[in-house]
Amino acid sequence: MNELRYILGGPQGGGLETLSELLSWAYAHAGYGVISDREYFSNIKGRHSYVHATVSAVELPRHLTYPVDIVAAMDAETVFTHFDDLRDGGYIIYNSDDDNVSFTSIPSMERDLRERLTSEFKELGVDGTVKSVVKYLQSNRKVRVVGLSFKELLMEIERREGIVPSQASRYISTILAGAVAAITGINEEDLDYSLKRRFVREDLYRHNRAMANIVIEAVKGQFGSELKLDKPSVKVSGVLVASGNDVIATAKIVAGVRFQAYYPITPAADESFTLEEYEALGGEGSIVVFQTEDELAAINAAIGAALTGARSSVATSGPGFDLMVEGLGWAGQNEVPVVVTYYQRGGPSTGQPTRGGQSDLLSSVFASHGEYPRIVLASGDHEEAFYDAIDAFNYAETYQVPVIHLVDKFLANTIATIPLPNLDGIRIVRGNLAPKGLTEYKRFDLSSVISPRAFLGDYVMWYSGDEHDEYGHIDEDPINRIRMFDKRMKKLDLIEKEIPEERRYSYFGSERPDIVIVGWGFVKGVALKAIEELSGEGIKASYYHIRMFIPFPRESITKIAGEVGVDKLVAVEHNYQAQASRLVAMNTGITVGKSVVKYTGRPIYVHELVNAIKNIMRGSVREVLSYGA
Amino acid sequence: MARKLTINDYKTNVWVDWCPGCGNFGILSAMYQAFADLQLDPEKTVVVSGIGCSGKISHFINVSGVHTLHGRSLPYAEGIKLANPDLTVVVNVGDGDLLGIGAAHFVALGRRNVDLVVIMHNNTVYGLTKGQASPTLARGFQPKALPKPNLQDAVNPIGLAIASGYTFIARGYAARVQHLKELIKKAIQHKGSAFIEVLQPCVTYDNIHTYDYYNKRVYDLQEEGWDPIVKSPEEFPQKAAQALIKSYEGDGRIPIGIFLVNPHVPTFEERYAQRLPNYLKVPPAKEPIEVDGKTMITMRRFKELFGKYIIEFKQ
Repeated sequence: MNELRYILGGPQGGGLETLSELLSWAYAHAGYGVISDREYFSNIKGRHSYVHATVSAVELPRHLTYPVDIVAAMDAETVFTHFDDLRDGGYIIYNSDDDNVSFTSIPSMERDLRERLTSEFKELGVDGTVKSVVKYLQSNRKVRVVGLSFKELLMEIERREGIVPSQASRYISTILAGAVAAITGINEEDLDYSLKRRFVREDLYRHNRAMANIVIEAVKGQFGSELKLDKPSVKVSGVLVASGNDVIATAKIVAGVRFQAYYPITPAADESFTLEEYEALGGEGSIVVFQTEDELAAINAAIGAALTGARSSVATSGPGFDLMVEGLGWAGQNEVPVVVTYYQRGGPSTGQPTRGGQSDLLSSVFASHGEYPRIVLASGDHEEAFYDAIDAFNYAETYQVPVIHLVDKFLANTIATIPLPNLDGIRIVRGNLAPKGLTEYKRFDLSSVISPRAFLGDYVMWYSGDEHDEYGHIDEDPINRIRMFDKRMKKLDLIEKEIPEERRYSYFGSERPDIVIVGWGFVKGVALKAIEELSGEGIKASYYHIRMFIPFPRESITKIAGEVGVDKLVAVEHNYQAQASRLVAMNTGITVGKSVVKYTGRPIYVHELVNAIKNIMRGSVREVLSYGA
Repeated sequence: MARKLTINDYKTNVWVDWCPGCGNFGILSAMYQAFADLQLDPEKTVVVSGIGCSGKISHFINVSGVHTLHGRSLPYAEGIKLANPDLTVVVNVGDGDLLGIGAAHFVALGRRNVDLVVIMHNNTVYGLTKGQASPTLARGFQPKALPKPNLQDAVNPIGLAIASGYTFIARGYAARVQHLKELIKKAIQHKGSAFIEVLQPCVTYDNIHTYDYYNKRVYDLQEEGWDPIVKSPEEFPQKAAQALIKSYEGDGRIPIGIFLVNPHVPTFEERYAQRLPNYLKVPPAKEPIEVDGKTMITMRRFKELFGKYIIEFKQ
C-alpha cells in the first residue's frame, strides 16, 4: 500500500499531541510524506480531540480523506465517535479495560452526538458498550480488533522500569504509538528517532522506549505488520515537519521581521510563541515579540514599529481582526507597510473558536470605513504559506500598504512534511526608501505614487489619520484631497500592473476539463487529490487556485470561463456563501453559479468532494458537505 | 547639532487652531520650552497624539509627529519606542482619549514601564465633539453643553496611574507654564513610564473648571515639602499609598507637582535587553535584514536555527 490513513483520538490534554508527533516524526524520518490535522474543542482538558492523518509513500500529501485504516483510541469516547470512520478490514486499537463502558455514560460527549448514536446503535443492533461496538466492527466490517489492557501494560511498565504509579498514565501516548508502529511496520530506528526527539530527558526516553517495546512485541506477535507501507519514493533531500503556525514564523524570520505584536487568540497565538522562541536569532539580532492588552493595541503598536523601519506584523484571527480594522485604515491612510497574518476560524462572533473556516475573505477584502489600497494573499498549503509570508512583507514595503495574509485554522494546526525551502531565490524588497542627507523631507511627496519612505529617526516627518498634505499635516482642501486620495488609490493600478497574473493564481489538471474547481486556501490539497481521483474515473477535472484576492487574477479566470464555459465552474469553499465566487463576480462579471461548501468547521475530505463534484456534474448547483466528527 | 535650538526652532508654521484662551496653549508653550531646554534633536524626537483638540498638538511642534487614532496613542508610542529605543517619545492625549476609549492601554503601559512620557490634557469634556462629559468630570456636574447633569463618577487619573505602576506621576496646570515645563523636562529625563495630568480649562464648553476655579485651588506639592521619591523598593507600598491619598485631595485645594517617582522598576526596554543581548546596542528598527536584496538567513543559518523542524535524508 502507498497510503495510510489513521485517526488518533483521546481526551484533550491527554497526550494526543505527543502521540501524533511520535508517529509523524517517525514516518517523516523514514522518508514518508505526512499530513496530520488536529481537531479539538475550545477546552483545555477532557473533551474529545482527535488527529486525522494521511501518510504517503509516493508524495508529500496535502489531503485528508475517509475511511481510515486505523482508529487508535485512548478512550471510549473515541471508539464511539470514530468507529464508523474505519474502512472494512481496518484496525481498531483501543483500551480493553473500557469494554463495558456505555456511550450514555460519557459526560464529555455532546448531546447531539449521543442522540445520533442512540438511533444508529439501535439500527445496528449494538447495546452501546465499547465491547458491543467493537464486536460489531469485527463481525460486520471485518475490522481487526487490537484490544490492549492499558492497566496491565502500565502495571508492567511500572514493574519493569520502576515508575511511580501516579506517573504511569503519561505513557498512554506511547502505548498507542507502539501499537500503530507495530501494525504499520515502522522501523525501530525511525520510532527511536521520534522517541528521542520527544523525550529529551534520558529517563523519560528510556521508559517510553521500554513501553513501546512491550506493545510492539505483543501486537506484532498477534497481528503482524499488515499495514506496512511501500518503500518511500518521495524525492526530496529533506523536509520540514511543522505546523502552519511554525512554518509562517520561520518564514517571517527569513523575511526579516523585527516586531510582532499579538493578543492571545486561537489559532494564531502559537505563531507568536514560536517567534518569541527565536527572538534573539541565535544571538545575532532582536525580534520584539510584544504581547499586548488587546488587538487594538496589537495592530497599532505594529504600525508604530513599522514607522521606525522595523518589518512589523501581527498574527490574529477573526474576532481580533475585527478589532484591528480601524488601525488598518490608519495604516492605509498613512501608507504604512504592516502585515496581518490572518488565521481564519469559524465565525461569526466566537463561532467555533477551534475549528476551521474560510468565512473571513470578504471581511479581509472590504473591512474598514473609507477607501484605501491593500493587498490580500491567501495560502493553499504550508509551502505556499512560507513564501507568501515573505512576499507579504515585500509587497507591504514596495507599495507602502497594509497586507493581509489569509490562512486558516486547518493550516495553523496541521503538521505536514514540506520540502526544505529554497532560500537562494528569496529577495528582500524594501521599496522606495528616501536617501540620507536631504535638506527637506516630505513623507507624502506627491511627485510619485510611492513616496520615498524615511523612518522615524531619519528626518522630521508627520503622520495623520486625517487627510493630510505632503508633509503629513492635516489638510482639508478639496484639491489636496483629490491629489492625495488619487495618489493612494493609484497604487492599486501599480499593483495591478506590477504583480504578474501568474502570481495570483495556479492552475492544475486537464487543459480541456469537464469541470473546473475554483477554490482557494486549504481547499487546494483536497481539490488536487479530487481531480486526480476524478481523472482516474475518466472525468477530466481541473483546479483553479486563487492565491491573491487583491490584485485579483481577472484575466486568467475570464479566459478559463470563456474557454470551458461558465457552467463548468464550481466554487469549493469552507464558507456558506462561496465568498470567493462573489469576488469573481465582482471582479469579472462572471457568475460561478455552482458551489460545494462546508461550514461545519471540519476540513473538506477527498471522498466527499469527489462525490459532490459528481453530483454537480449531474445537475446539482449546491452541495453542502458535512463529514467528520 | 550645529547650533543651539531655540523655542522658535520647535514651532511649525501650522496655524494653531484651538479656541482663543484654550488651556492647550499653555501646554504647547511648556512643551516648546522643555524641548528647547533639553535641546531635543527634532529628528530623534516623536510626539504622538490621539484624537480631539489635544491630538492636533503633534502638528504644531517641529519634531516628528504621529497623529493617531482616538484612544490608541499609547500602542503607537510603544511600538515606536520598542522598535527604536533611541527615540524620545512624548505622548499628548485627551482625558477621553486616555481614560475613556483608551483606558486599557493606559493601565497596560503602567505594567510595562516603557520609557515614554504621557501628557494628559484634562479638561473634563470632549471638546471637539462639543462638550460632552469626559471620564474626569465628577458626577452631578453640568458644564454648559450638557443637557443634564453628569450621571457618571469621575475616574482618579493619578490614582489609576499609581495602581497601574507608572514610575513618574505628576500633575500640572496649563496656566503655570514654567512649573509644567519643569515637570515635562523631569518626565522626559525619567527612565520609565511617566504620566503628567494637566489641568486644562476648556474655555468654550466647561464653564465650571475655569482659570479662576483652578487659580483659587491649586497649590504646589513640592512647595509644601512633598517628597515623591521612593527611596527603596521596600518603601514603595507606603509611598504609593500616601500618594494615592493625596490624589483624592480636591475639595477646595488641588495639589499639583510630582506625586510619586519610583526609580526601582526596570524599563520594558531593559527587560527585553535581558533576553535580547543586542537590543539596546542595535535597535530592531536599525538592524540590517538583507544583503544585496537577499535574505540574511542563509540555508546554513536556517538549518542551525530551525534544526528541530528539519529531517534530512541520506541520498
